[in-house]
Amino acid sequence: MTTINSGAASAAGRETAIHNDDMTAPRKPLGLYLHIPFCIRKCNYCDFLSFGGVQEEEQKAYFHALAREIRYYGKIYNNKYYVDTIFIGGGTPSLVEEGLIDWLMTAVRESFVVVEDAEISIESNPKTLTDRKLNAYMESGINRISIGVQSFDDGLLNDMGRVHNAEDFFKNYSVARECGFRNINIDLMFAIPGQTLKIWKDTLERAIGLAPEHISFYSLQLEEGTPFFSMFQEGSLKQVDDELDRAMYHTAVGMLSDAGYGHYEISNAAKAGFQCRHNLKYWSMDDSLGLGLGAHSFMDGTRASNVTDLEEYIRAGLAESSRAGREADDMSGSPFIQQRHRNTREDDISEYLFTGLRKIRGIYLPDFQRRFGVSLDTIHGRTLEKYLAGRLLEMQDGWLRFTEKGIDISNTVLAEFV
Amino acid sequence: MNSYQQFIRNFCIIAHIDHGKSTLADRIIENTGLVSQREMKEQFLDNMELERERGITIKLQTTRLVYKAKDGHEYIFNLIDTPGHVDFTYEVSRSLAACEGAVLIVDATQGVEAQTLANVYLALDEDLEILPVINKIDLASARPDEAKQEIEDIIGIDAHDAPLVSAKEGIGIEEVLEAIVARIPAPKGDADGRLKALIFDSYYDNYRGVVVYTRIFDGKIKKGDVIRLMNTRKKYEVTEVGVYAPGPVPTSELSAGEVGYICASIKQVADARVGDTITLDSEPAEEPLPGYKKVQPMVYCGIYPAGTEKYENVKDALEKLQVNDAAFHFEPETSTALGFGFRCGFLGLLHMEIIVERLEREFDLAIITTSPSVIYKVVMNDGREEMIQNPSNLPSPIEIHHIEEPIVKADIMIPKEYVGGIMEICQERRGKMIHMEYITETRVMLHYEMPLNEVIYDFFDALKSKTRGYGSLDYEFIRYEKSNLVKLDILLNKELVDAFSMIVHESKAYYRGRFVCEKLKEIIPMHQFEVPIQAAIGQKVIARETVKAYRKDVIAKCYGGDISRKKKLLEKQKEGKKRMRQFGTVEVPQEAFTAVLKYDDNK
Repeated sequence: MTTINSGAASAAGRETAIHNDDMTAPRKPLGLYLHIPFCIRKCNYCDFLSFGGVQEEEQKAYFHALAREIRYYGKIYNNKYYVDTIFIGGGTPSLVEEGLIDWLMTAVRESFVVVEDAEISIESNPKTLTDRKLNAYMESGINRISIGVQSFDDGLLNDMGRVHNAEDFFKNYSVARECGFRNINIDLMFAIPGQTLKIWKDTLERAIGLAPEHISFYSLQLEEGTPFFSMFQEGSLKQVDDELDRAMYHTAVGMLSDAGYGHYEISNAAKAGFQCRHNLKYWSMDDSLGLGLGAHSFMDGTRASNVTDLEEYIRAGLAESSRAGREADDMSGSPFIQQRHRNTREDDISEYLFTGLRKIRGIYLPDFQRRFGVSLDTIHGRTLEKYLAGRLLEMQDGWLRFTEKGIDISNTVLAEFV
Repeated sequence: MNSYQQFIRNFCIIAHIDHGKSTLADRIIENTGLVSQREMKEQFLDNMELERERGITIKLQTTRLVYKAKDGHEYIFNLIDTPGHVDFTYEVSRSLAACEGAVLIVDATQGVEAQTLANVYLALDEDLEILPVINKIDLASARPDEAKQEIEDIIGIDAHDAPLVSAKEGIGIEEVLEAIVARIPAPKGDADGRLKALIFDSYYDNYRGVVVYTRIFDGKIKKGDVIRLMNTRKKYEVTEVGVYAPGPVPTSELSAGEVGYICASIKQVADARVGDTITLDSEPAEEPLPGYKKVQPMVYCGIYPAGTEKYENVKDALEKLQVNDAAFHFEPETSTALGFGFRCGFLGLLHMEIIVERLEREFDLAIITTSPSVIYKVVMNDGREEMIQNPSNLPSPIEIHHIEEPIVKADIMIPKEYVGGIMEICQERRGKMIHMEYITETRVMLHYEMPLNEVIYDFFDALKSKTRGYGSLDYEFIRYEKSNLVKLDILLNKELVDAFSMIVHESKAYYRGRFVCEKLKEIIPMHQFEVPIQAAIGQKVIARETVKAYRKDVIAKCYGGDISRKKKLLEKQKEGKKRMRQFGTVEVPQEAFTAVLKYDDNK
């Protein structure tokens, strides 16, 4: 039985129980994502929604709006859900002063029931982390820190437009440990132009040597609109070829598993018990609420995404105050939302497959049948047959998953499921 | 001359593509007050969307206009538009035959071009009065005096008082109208004689059947008359006669000298062939009008349903097009690679492109077209002759004595600085120069004899590309000639894809084979396995490329629960797959079939 944080419930003026007082339906688990769209500057490969060089005043206005959005959803969802994962992502959440993060966490706890063993993650960039910030995060109840170092090669870091060097990271890492973080993730990148297999192995070795609980390893993607993409088009940047990319990937999987990290998602490995519970919600189509600029939600079978214009978002926060107290029981009235889509059954099925198969253990076919009332074989029998025969997929004890070779070209298979 | 005839002017407009024919026609229509400016669609006569987009006229449109001239009389102008491309020479000649005069538009910035000339010759053959007009005088680069001089030098007609016009800006239009009244002769012909009417165009109307555009030379025609088509020998009862002004306006009769339409419950346009003569069944004319010719397709290709497209849908669409296009032929055929489809015949490459685009746009069909081919005459060892339009049907080499291919006479007009480059591409395409003439100081006409299969392949694109758009081409079939031809096959993953097979001259086989292999390598996506692409003559492989197996196609990161973008990516991938055609284990995008035919500037 999960216990819940008493402060949150009393602030909400409710019984401290997982079952709320006026309804018999049990509360359901919920993941919260909070988006902080600010960076010192954008990295050369990055196409996420974030901005460098935003004035502090505007950043503060943004946090006001974000706090309003948190409270807005608290009113709608608090009696139906309890929060068991929170992910503060960006951008660079560690860029802003720690007080703002604490403010958000307070707003979350005042608006939602947050269970005591909730996984609460924050993303950070080595240049922006300080002892003071790390200590403050601990005090705000954040128990997982994700540090985006990407590489230990300063030359590559510089090429990528990262604002930090390897040394910055090592300092931060030991301070985080000293502050008491027992769940640390390191983000690494491979297939960086100019990176050799040797450099990559070296990066992995040093990462493993630090013994973080979780390691993410992403293949660098050239995304349209990024400086890397234009450089690639001009011909001044050469993409790592696919053979090397895959060699790097499989090297990582091998080295990590040898070191006791379980490969559990295409680009993620963790020590036992340290899989990122928040991200797993995305791969299992569990309810999640994305708050902040351009954030994405999946609630009760509806996908929604927030406005992506910073000013518009801040204005939406102001608009929200005039609606305070308005009765609502879903996202439909939110002034922050730009797009909403009620998933059809086909959407659900294709998303279940395309997200579920990102998990290395795959999907459990009896679960599929229970969820959709039909066996996967009935809908996609021919595709399954083709790729099982081609050894891109494998089936074992009711679990369907990609083979190692299948992961490399998984889109080919997934494209037939969407 | 009957008195009504002196107020009729039947004329057409001759111009090179882009020289402003449709714009001038628009201005003439506007200035005669027939259609208000508000009702004017841009370029009135070009009524197909495709035509407007390409800026060329494919299908003839005819309009009757009333012009009140400065002499105080009202004149009836029958403006007969002509198609503007080399593929439609015969249709042009029949339209010209319906006129007494032709307005020749010459672009003041570009002067006279080969294709304009071809039509001028046709007009002179029909004894038309030619009225030159210099267009685009508003442009800074206009050289009206040089254009006039060119007309005098090249065509040998007096151009000193040619109206200077900007159809776009509406300058000089009245001058043109007055010149039409003054210089183009009124029609002659005996309204009381036996009926002789020329079919110069027709189209299919859902309600009235085939509507025939006609010029009456002698006699009269009215509703209820039983007519006979003198070449096809078919009989019909006339259900309606009228004029286009510009919509159909029924009249009581049409008499000698007039231009109008006839409906007679004719089922398809192939029954009312352009050039045929209409006469009365009860009192037939003794002789038909001269110049009738049954048009024959010169270029063939296969058209197949692509992806999930239904065979029946393609068939229906082809039938609808055929009803309206006497020059277009099709019959069912089967390909091992592409399944059930159709072999289609066209007047030329442009005609083919137009039909294909119409199938895709108007009928919204997903289709694959195979390499165009000409008709080869295959002479067998036993002396039998076979006409082959599909390379796959070529008999075994052991049975063949020799193959003959169609040769055309090609007239190429270019600015003189390009002569070297163009002679080179003609030579590469096995052209034989007959002679070269300087038409003016700066322009040259090259007369070549060339195999048609070289012309339809990429010659036109190459010519345009090498002359920066200034070259023009006119060609005409002259004869069959014995030639050293081979069948070039393409194999994907060791399997022959018949839809890619082509007949080429032996000297070109290696080059073409290599080109196709290289193109396909660019276009065929990576598979899970290596895909060898081979070009072969019989058992002998002459070129080879390999599409490497792909190693990576995976989404590394889906961030913050935003799966929508990645889902779109997968959906796009799925869409792409739908447009693929499966050959054995190899998937080939539909573009591949046309891409292997495109002229490549860098080659």
